[in-house]
Amino acid sequence: MLILRNICWLQRRWKSGGKKRWNVLQNKKNNCDRALESFDDFYGSVYGGRWKNMRAALLTRHKYIAMVNNFGDTEQTCSMLETDGAINMKSLINLAQERLQGTDPALKGQGQNRYEIDDKLDALLRKQQEREVASIYPSAGEGGAAVQMPQQLKYDNVEEKEESQTESPDFKQSLTKALEEDVKLDEHRLVDPQFGTGGLYEYMPAHSIKGMEDWVAESEHYKYYQTSADFPLRIEPETSFHFPEHLALYTYEMGNCSDFKAPKKCLTGVSSHFLMDGASTLPPLFLQVQPGERVLDACASPGGKSLLLLQTLHLDQLVCNDIQESRLNRLRRLMQEFLFDYKQRSAARHLIFSQSDARNLDEYEQYDKILVDVPCTTDRHVVMEQDNNIFKPSRIKERLRIPELQAGILTNCLRLLRPGGSLVYSTCSLSPIQNDGVVHMALQKVFVEHGITATIKDLSRHTELFSDVFKFEHPKGLKYGQMVIPYLPANFGPMYFSKITRNV
Amino acid sequence: MLRKLLFNPQIALSQQKKLKCTRYFAIKAAAPKILELQQVHIEEAIKLEPTLSIYTKQVWRRAHETFLNHGLATVNFLRIVTANPAVLRRTPERIISSLEIWRACQFGETLLHLLLTKYPELLDVSDSHQLLSHVGFLKSRVSTNKNVWKLLMNSPNLLAQSEKTIEEKLDYIIDVMRIEVPELVKSAGLSMAFEELRCRHQFLVRLGLFKPRALKADPDEPTTNHRLYQITDTSEKTFATKICHVTLPEYEAFKDLHAREIERKTRKRREEEDFSDEEE
Repeated sequence: MLILRNICWLQRRWKSGGKKRWNVLQNKKNNCDRALESFDDFYGSVYGGRWKNMRAALLTRHKYIAMVNNFGDTEQTCSMLETDGAINMKSLINLAQERLQGTDPALKGQGQNRYEIDDKLDALLRKQQEREVASIYPSAGEGGAAVQMPQQLKYDNVEEKEESQTESPDFKQSLTKALEEDVKLDEHRLVDPQFGTGGLYEYMPAHSIKGMEDWVAESEHYKYYQTSADFPLRIEPETSFHFPEHLALYTYEMGNCSDFKAPKKCLTGVSSHFLMDGASTLPPLFLQVQPGERVLDACASPGGKSLLLLQTLHLDQLVCNDIQESRLNRLRRLMQEFLFDYKQRSAARHLIFSQSDARNLDEYEQYDKILVDVPCTTDRHVVMEQDNNIFKPSRIKERLRIPELQAGILTNCLRLLRPGGSLVYSTCSLSPIQNDGVVHMALQKVFVEHGITATIKDLSRHTELFSDVFKFEHPKGLKYGQMVIPYLPANFGPMYFSKITRNV
Repeated sequence: MLRKLLFNPQIALSQQKKLKCTRYFAIKAAAPKILELQQVHIEEAIKLEPTLSIYTKQVWRRAHETFLNHGLATVNFLRIVTANPAVLRRTPERIISSLEIWRACQFGETLLHLLLTKYPELLDVSDSHQLLSHVGFLKSRVSTNKNVWKLLMNSPNLLAQSEKTIEEKLDYIIDVMRIEVPELVKSAGLSMAFEELRCRHQFLVRLGLFKPRALKADPDEPTTNHRLYQITDTSEKTFATKICHVTLPEYEAFKDLHAREIERKTRKRREEEDFSDEEE
């Protein structure tokens, strides 16, 4: 019997040769999945049940607005868009203005109930820290004594930083600096030469966990959101809003998801209209550029907002700045495509391109208006596109430090403003850290380091004019600005914007 | 079985009207069987379906006897003729032959009677070869005759769909949604168009409410996902508000956007294919 079985024995591997391995069938986790997972966790606790609606909207294609090029065949383009059923935004706003005039302007106190969001973020930070500790020290959650372990081991600079924060709460150590400090040699662990190199083999104290050398705790990111205000802060409602006379923006009504026709070449050789995410039109609109003003677009590429500023025909001089040459080239191409007098403009220095880090610009107190559309996690991009995705594992430090970069840019831009001038800070992220958190950090920094004070303009009354087109976050949830949230029938945004005026 | 039929939640959701009917007949069936066709019965049936009034009593009696001989009680007979009056006109031979066609599917007498009583239109099937091959195809996917019967009880229009369309839906439900056969046969998911099924599933996925099961997960392990019958056997409004907890305009916008997205993708794929053809 035994022999018979040996004769008929078949190799297992051969038998199951046709089947694929599970890990082949299972999709590998990519950058978008990583981003989505992080958002589920973070935004899920910030926005609660509303996050799932935003999630579905983010994962679906966004809606466009068509901006008519005033340097082409304007009337023809307008009539073409109108025959397709698009509505001129200006007429919508006029209607909304009439409608709102009747009602009593109930001033919604921005920042009245601001504590709600603070609590949520606080809880999130705590949760994240606990989880990170638990992921490294699996037993930490179980025994009470084990929780002490991280402090003894000093697995990274995290605990060190916490201590320094508790000692002097005002002193804010930057993450960059902390990481650099970490590189310094620990004198205690150098082996005395008298023991020879043989000593090295005998005893090598563990100073870091293998594989975790450049590990940064995700909870670091949440610490950028601070709530203590130790700088003079004034929030006042914005007095007036004028829709630029010559600007023609076309959109479909809420719920209509039709596409626009592709731009055509006009007689003057430029494209007829520009398609952009609708929410991106709001920051330049709320900047309220007046004729003859000098304007800076601090992070200009890809150029939609700069183009809108030019289309108002109000500008005297526009400076477009961006950090990379390639991005700037993209911007130049766009301007060439849409401005027939591009060469004259750049020659007469009405349109200037500058390539520099926005934190290093030094034309202080030179600009009337600045548009600060900072680099951010670009929530819609990271959940849809693999390419150039900031949730790539190797970019984790860059990602966690984003608020620092944003605050740096905003701080510098506040210095570039002429006293009395105003800027609009905008991001396309839903994260309260990159939005209100950064505005707070920048205002604090600019007051402490340069003694500049600023006023936040409350735009909530004016955003109501746009409520037929966009879905806005309720002003209660935000401290310093307004936000367009993704909503399927009006799938614009996310776009946070805050208007700040430098005090005279 | 009757009990199961009555308390099947799918029926409760989608076919409340039918449920009432079934319950009515079930109660009748539970009572001592009526084996004789009386004038009252005929009058009641004519009230429900006036077109029946043209037939003579002989016709009624003949058809009734044929059904009775094949095990279908009077209540079932009445239900069949009211819902499908053409049956009454047929000769006993024809009725018997269509019953035989169905018997060949081997669902078992009781189950077959339930199926035919629920959907009397099924008696119109005349091509036995086609029916058997179709049932055979369904059996190859859901493994037992009883499952095929359950599928037909939930979505009788399967008989009118081509194998290709059914295959497409089955592949999607089993491979992409990772839903097991026992759950699949409890829903009317296959009677829905493939595009709509995919749209509903995608919407739930994007909302973060539907997480595909891990490949190695135990099928008995409970999930937080909605059941298939909740996803497919609901009206659009119920699906949007009760299952997804969003407003109807949001779901409608999504439907529109999703259809465009799919169209864009297929167009792109087609263009790529054309391009690669040219290269060759």
